[in-house]
Amino acid sequence: MLSVRDLTVSVGPATAPVDIVAGVSFGLAKGEILGLVGESGCGKSMTSLAVMGLLPQPGPRVRVGEVLLEGCDVTQLQPWQRVEAGHGRMAMIFQEPMTSLNPVRRIGDQIAEAVRVHEGISGAAALSRACELLELVRMPDPRMQLSAYPHQLSGGQRQRVMIAIALACRPQVLVADEPTTALDVTIQVQILGLLRELCNRLDMAILFITHDMGVVAQLADRVAVMYAGRIVETAAVDELFGKPRHHYTRGLMDCMPSRNSGARRLPTISGQPPVPGTVAAGCVFALRCAAVRDVCRVATPPRMEVSRGHEVLCAFPLGGGELP
Amino acid sequence: MSGDVILDVRDIMVSFSARRAGRKYRVQAVDGASLSLAEGEVLGIVGESGCGKTTLGRTIVGLVRPDSGTIRFNGADMIGAGSSSLREMRLKVRMVFQDPNASLNPRRAIGDSVAEAGDISGFFKTRAERSAAIAATLTAVGLNPAFADRYPYELSGGQRQRVGIARAILPTPSIIIADEPVSALDVSVQAQVLNLMMDLRDQLRLSMLFISHDLGVIGQISSRVAVMYMGRIVEHARTRTVLDQPLHPYTRALVAAIPKPDPSKRILGAIEMGEPPSLFTRPRGCAYAPRCPLASDRCFVEVPNLRSAGTDGRTIACHNV
Ligand SMILES: Nc1ncnc2c1ncn2[C@@H]1O[C@H](COP(=O)(O)OP(=O)(O)OP(=O)(O)O)[C@@H](O)[C@H]1O
Ligand SMILES: Nc1ncnc2c1ncn2[C@@H]1O[C@H](COP(=O)(O)OP(=O)(O)OP(=O)(O)O)[C@@H](O)[C@H]1O
Ligand code: SF4
Ligand SMILES: [Mg+2]
Ligand SMILES: [Mg+2]
Repeated sequence: MLSVRDLTVSVGPATAPVDIVAGVSFGLAKGEILGLVGESGCGKSMTSLAVMGLLPQPGPRVRVGEVLLEGCDVTQLQPWQRVEAGHGRMAMIFQEPMTSLNPVRRIGDQIAEAVRVHEGISGAAALSRACELLELVRMPDPRMQLSAYPHQLSGGQRQRVMIAIALACRPQVLVADEPTTALDVTIQVQILGLLRELCNRLDMAILFITHDMGVVAQLADRVAVMYAGRIVETAAVDELFGKPRHHYTRGLMDCMPSRNSGARRLPTISGQPPVPGTVAAGCVFALRCAAVRDVCRVATPPRMEVSRGHEVLCAFPLGGGELP
Repeated sequence: MSGDVILDVRDIMVSFSARRAGRKYRVQAVDGASLSLAEGEVLGIVGESGCGKTTLGRTIVGLVRPDSGTIRFNGADMIGAGSSSLREMRLKVRMVFQDPNASLNPRRAIGDSVAEAGDISGFFKTRAERSAAIAATLTAVGLNPAFADRYPYELSGGQRQRVGIARAILPTPSIIIADEPVSALDVSVQAQVLNLMMDLRDQLRLSMLFISHDLGVIGQISSRVAVMYMGRIVEHARTRTVLDQPLHPYTRALVAAIPKPDPSKRILGAIEMGEPPSLFTRPRGCAYAPRCPLASDRCFVEVPNLRSAGTDGRTIACHNV
């Protein structure tokens, strides 16, 4: 369905570009949910914006790579061509609802507009579809809230409006950037259940960005772990949680509060991620890796398939592995 | 509870008027919430989205005027206070906002935003002192000090959230009202920020109201937790007690819905939560009754009041447990 190859997003002058996303590749099949996790600032949002063709202008740009939607490279298209190429069948839920909602328009009108654009139906019908969508995302009093302005809603209610807008175009591919972060767990479990159902029923595919390992475990089919602009490990969800192979993935799992309840201090991964553009050679995780060896600092590690569908970007993965 | 009570909040009522479908309604966002905070204590607040957590926090820092109720900071009334003592209190009681974008000025460099409270109050003696304080605060929240010269749009979501925390701790306040302060952070940065907040609590005796929907995080940082439902506190107890033996039916649902980081224990589709409550037509009795598996006739007519349950100071508002 969707195939991303060698995606590289850069900022700075063309003569000295700084890569904030560096050679990211992944595929997304019909009905599949791929969880994308990784440290804050590692490039998850930039990856998803690039996939959608929505990178902010001016600023970051796609320097290398392609994003193929059913075989057609959408990075090469102008915005008006994207709709025709089926790009209108991709929708995105943004990380921060307040910046993407119009503060002076009623939310009902904002959802209805998305419905109109994608389904070509008129005022009243679009509004009633907007109401259905609000009900679908578990908004209380959907009919009444159609006339609310964004500032009159709580953080989690705004988030649900964003989800409703994204679902308005009946997308085949949904890119969701931290869609349930502002929701309490009782509503989160309902929204995650809804997304899973849409995948199963309509074959919708989801790129689901989150930092919540619990959510990934509950929802994703496969997981990609990102660090400093690169995907360092991908595997089926059971495999990733059962047998993480990258040292960074392992570190992430060890930091989870639920695995440390009552501890005086939480374990952290010591050190800071590298500032983009400063890693000249070697492994991006070398500075913070407990298992680092000399070769890691000079040679870029190979991408190894440690078992079927389980790839890791590390020369010395946990649990061993044959060098190619 | 130990130590001196630094913040005492009683019977806060906040309502908004809202026009919907041509009619005027009053939305009761906070419906008689009370809580207190001792020096060096962290009180967690959890509850359903829209139950009034942010509104309660904004009321405490003076951004929303309550319809009734009292807020005392070190014994002094904060609602009726004059403007000069109010300004002083504003420096002592600070908020980390839920939506970092809504509170960061897009045209100000990060460093200036972080120093804002200090600048207004004349806290910094020299420019060098100011720069050093900004750098130290950014480092404390796990950001590179070089970010001081950047603008919000150049930062990722989690980086902006940490700027929001940095703004609230310079100069160091006595109380922080933290509204979902770590919700946009991955687990490793989250651990780093939580460790920082625990240090502030232990070393500077800072008190915090920690609003979060992540019970794992609450369990880590707060000794007590208040569970809110539709503007009221329905259960209040030690965090461990609540997590291990939730009593109130809503708290039980909340604990059951925590996503476990184990793909073999999937709960999606397996639990039924019922419809979220309407804000415009409040039930007459217990607000949770329409969804509650334990509801009896009494629940639909009589509002349950908080009463003590058990020995370790737990209180709960439910007729049937
Ligand atoms: N316009 C820009 N100029 C320079 N650097 C930028 C710009 N926009 C983003 N960055 C940097 O690119 C990196 C990747 O940002 P991105 O928003 O993709 O992170 P993220 O993985 O989504 O993080 P989070 O989990 O915190 O949302 C960050 O380190 C950020 O500081
Ligand atoms: N200015 C306003 N006008 C009308 N209603 C409002 C206004 N501000 C908030 N509300 C309503 O008051 C209720 C409480 O909102 P609040 O933001 O305090 O919820 P919350 O508990 O913080 O939720 P969340 O977890 O989603 O952030 C919500 O249902 C919201 O719709
Ligand atoms: S008072 Fe009744 S309806 Fe309310 S939580 Fe208790 S049992 Fe349920
Ligand atoms: Mg992001
Ligand atoms: Mg809120």
